[in-house]
Amino acid sequence: MLSMLAKLLKALNSESAPGQIALAFSLALIVALTPMFTPHNALIMLLAFILRINLSAFFLAVAAFSALAWFIDPYAARLGESLLANPALVDTWRDMYQSDFWRMTAFNHSLVLGGLVISLLAAVPVFVLSKVLINLYRHRLLAWFNKLKIAQVLKASKFYNLYKSIAE
Amino acid sequence: MKQWIRWSGLAAFIVISLVLVALFWFVAGPLIEKGIESFGSDAADAKVEVDSVSLSLSPLGFVIHGLTVADSRKPMTNVLQLDKATAELELAPLFLGKAIISDLAVDNLQFGTARTTSGVLEKKAVKEDEAEQVAAQEEAASSFSSVDLPSAEEILARESLRTEQAGTEFQQSYSSNKNAVDNALSNVPDDKALSQYEQEIKALTSGSFKSLDDFKARKKKLDELKARFKNDKAAIATAKKAVAEARSDISDKLKALKAAPGEDLDSIRGKYQLSAGGAANMSALLFGEQAGEWAEKALYWYEKVKPYLAKDEADSAAEEESPKAPRDGRFVHFPSDNPWPGFLLRNAQLTASTASGNLLISAQDITSEPRVLGRPTRVLINGSGLKQVEDMSVDIVLDHRKTPGTDTLTLNIKDWQLHDMNLGVAGAKLASSLVQVQGLVVVSRGKLNAQSDAQFGRTQFSSKGKTTFAKELGLALAKVQQFDVNAKASGKITSPDFSLGSDLDKQLNAAFGARLKDKQAELEAKLQARLEQKLQSYIGDYGGKLGEFNQLDGTLDQRLNKVSELAGQNLEDYQAQKEREAREKSEREKAEAKAKLDAEKAAAKAEAERKKKEAAEKAKDKLKNLF
Repeated sequence: MLSMLAKLLKALNSESAPGQIALAFSLALIVALTPMFTPHNALIMLLAFILRINLSAFFLAVAAFSALAWFIDPYAARLGESLLANPALVDTWRDMYQSDFWRMTAFNHSLVLGGLVISLLAAVPVFVLSKVLINLYRHRLLAWFNKLKIAQVLKASKFYNLYKSIAE
Repeated sequence: MKQWIRWSGLAAFIVISLVLVALFWFVAGPLIEKGIESFGSDAADAKVEVDSVSLSLSPLGFVIHGLTVADSRKPMTNVLQLDKATAELELAPLFLGKAIISDLAVDNLQFGTARTTSGVLEKKAVKEDEAEQVAAQEEAASSFSSVDLPSAEEILARESLRTEQAGTEFQQSYSSNKNAVDNALSNVPDDKALSQYEQEIKALTSGSFKSLDDFKARKKKLDELKARFKNDKAAIATAKKAVAEARSDISDKLKALKAAPGEDLDSIRGKYQLSAGGAANMSALLFGEQAGEWAEKALYWYEKVKPYLAKDEADSAAEEESPKAPRDGRFVHFPSDNPWPGFLLRNAQLTASTASGNLLISAQDITSEPRVLGRPTRVLINGSGLKQVEDMSVDIVLDHRKTPGTDTLTLNIKDWQLHDMNLGVAGAKLASSLVQVQGLVVVSRGKLNAQSDAQFGRTQFSSKGKTTFAKELGLALAKVQQFDVNAKASGKITSPDFSLGSDLDKQLNAAFGARLKDKQAELEAKLQARLEQKLQSYIGDYGGKLGEFNQLDGTLDQRLNKVSELAGQNLEDYQAQKEREAREKSEREKAEAKAKLDAEKAAAKAEAERKKKEAAEKAKDKLKNLF
């Protein structure tokens, strides 16, 4: 866990494109807000591995967003339930239900559908916001932080050595 | 673009996926094995053991080798055992954690096989000894040792008799009414008192008043007497009422007492099966044990299956109670020809080996969520060409799509050749018979409603019992060629009420009737005599005394009349008496004067006549002398 955090810090401080880290956060959000063992999450995992995003950031974000999901799940399930019962959409769901492929996606599971809708809607804002915050961190916070005495102390610590060994 | 793609990541993903699949492949078999053993043991309440489970890729599925399910009631016996069960799984639903078995084939399914080790679960072993003791006690209690007819004395001693109750009521009624009548009579004037009243009245009302004071004194006494007469009349009326009530109450009680021996005899006749209704339980006696055994087996299996049938109903009921979406979400199902419930066994074909031959069992749509599937579970058991049965079919429909669920079993057995069926009564056996059976069982809301009709033809009975009853039963059964048995069960599934009826009863009645007629008559005569004795012991001393009340009623009427008559006597008015006496005196004097006057007139007239007559005589004599 400590090494993963070090890797995240390294990523944040390195020359990795902010978009790669922000995309990791966005994908992690989808995995965290929907039940883990679903076909769409397998696809997200595949994307996470194939796309050059920061995996440490991805897994840490999955853990962080899963904690958030504990609060969001009831609302997500209710949203999914209402979407599946929506008269305007019922015909669509019924048609999709006749197909094994669509049924395999668990679209008719209230938490899967609700969580997926919320996470997809939130993915773009999370991506943009993350990117902005990473840029702010690198250009302002990191420079300011390095000048602090506490930063000097931290740099002498075991954690910093670990971070350095990973960074090199 | 190249900057965004990480090909090494693809390789890592594939490697990780393959590792996971391989891990699952090696672990799945043992996991399924442990799952079947654990889940099965809980369900069967006895050991469920599996030799091994292997997975197959094409077709996708698993094979269970060597499954045994111990009988929780007979630990050294397997309820069922199979050599091999091959299940074909559908891949797509597996991704959603849904186990849908398209086909299940079972080889060499056997029932009731012997075990080498006990099938009792460890937690149950402690309780087993106690259960065995209880079962032994129940068996002893249910033995047919009490079939011999008891004696009249035993019956009368054992039964709560109406005669005794009516006798006690009669005695109590007599005693309490007698007290009430005696109390009432104590206030009624007796003959002596009435005579005294008569004398007093006579003394008061006869003779003339000596003076006005004499009149007043008599008047006062007469008024006092009349006041007493009034009280006496009230006392007599009260006594008459008490007597009437006593007579009515005692008559009713006596009537009930006289009817009681007849009622007792009727009741005893029905209870001790001495008359036509007596053999009504004979079929229950003969076939009850067997029917009970079958019913027990059926209920045993139903109880095992029931929790899983009701699970979906309970879930849907919970959904209805709390319509909120669960926080973990749920699958929402839409109409489809191919729904995916959590567990579904689409089709199972089993061949079961039994002592009578092979049974072909097919099952469709066994599921944990019948509501999602939209079809009921069906199990069809067919046995054709069995050793003793020409054709047998059992059609079971477990319909839990709606609440309440309804489970139906239809049974048909054609040409069942029964041999040496031990009837468990007095050594009697159904040596041979050709039986046709039709049955229908419906279970809904925990209530059982079952009916079964069996036609026994070409029947031959044998009896080796040496008791009188066994001999009589054997002779009676020998005359029976064919009979029907109707079994019914209704009520709660856990404690249904069973009833067995049969025209065998009528036939046995006829046969038994002739054989037992004398004995019945003898026993009934003894019973009647004993009851008559009892009746007399109650009625003997008191019965005649009822006449006393009738007599008493007449006496009271006479006394009431007498008192009324005496009360009607009045004292003459003083002034009136004096006027009457003066008038009488005047009339008397007038009469005397008139009589005197009349007498004088009569005397004068007589004298005149005499003188006239003398003158005539004289004239006559003169005239004679002249001639």
